[in-house]
Amino acid sequence: MTFAVGEKTVGNVVVVSVRGAIDMLTAPQLADGIRASQGRGPKVVIVDLSEVDFLASAGMQVLVAANENAGPDGRLVVVADGPATSRPLKITGITDFIALYPTLDEALENVAV
Amino acid sequence: MDAPDRPSPIADARFVREVDADARAVAGVRNQFAQWIRSHLVLDEERVSDIVLAVNEALANSAEFAYVTMAEPGTVSVEAVHSAVTGSLVVVIADHGVWYDEDPTERSRTRGRGISLMETLSDDVTFERLADGTRVRLLFADCAAVPKLPGALSEA
Repeated sequence: MTFAVGEKTVGNVVVVSVRGAIDMLTAPQLADGIRASQGRGPKVVIVDLSEVDFLASAGMQVLVAANENAGPDGRLVVVADGPATSRPLKITGITDFIALYPTLDEALENVAV
Repeated sequence: MDAPDRPSPIADARFVREVDADARAVAGVRNQFAQWIRSHLVLDEERVSDIVLAVNEALANSAEFAYVTMAEPGTVSVEAVHSAVTGSLVVVIADHGVWYDEDPTERSRTRGRGISLMETLSDDVTFERLADGTRVRLLFADCAAVPKLPGALSEA
């Protein structure tokens, strides 16, 4: 699966969709994509990892840094399900401070602004 | 009495690669390793993910830290052996570099997370700092092999 980062807007929420493997090779592209989305100042950025088949610590660090970058008026949440994505996020304790939803629909319902 | 050195009908399965210690080569060998696991072992998706992630973290550490002080990156090797007798999968990732100082205050969060993942995802992990490089040994216990007929190839 070729790595790709896409973006769409749903109301006041920006959804950053990712496809493929997020590792030390592709993490910088993900960081660029999220930074560009956050730069437009949405209240919420949803990073959707539903189509991600591998998530390395380099990718997780991008999420942590982006969450810190979200600032007091912004928020970052993650959509992920399955052993390759939601499991590492839980194991590393990242889900203690970044909200995780199994589907995009659930995330959108819960972040309604 | 059985001949003590009669070969087992099921040979150990082995995966051996040596690649450049860079991000692109690491991704390539990770994908090959994942394919090898899927074709030689019978594991649920969660176990496969855990093993591939743990091995990736060791490879990524070599790619990121082993050759930082050198003009050009060297290589990183992966040698995985699955014992048909014990069911253990042992993966050794080795480089010939010198990782940056092990000062915990200098350790980046990414690397700390990677090491923590290796510890959590494997049944045992050891890190060796050698004169000529670094070696990480990951042990994954109780991995069943795909049954093979005697004489079938198990080398990859």
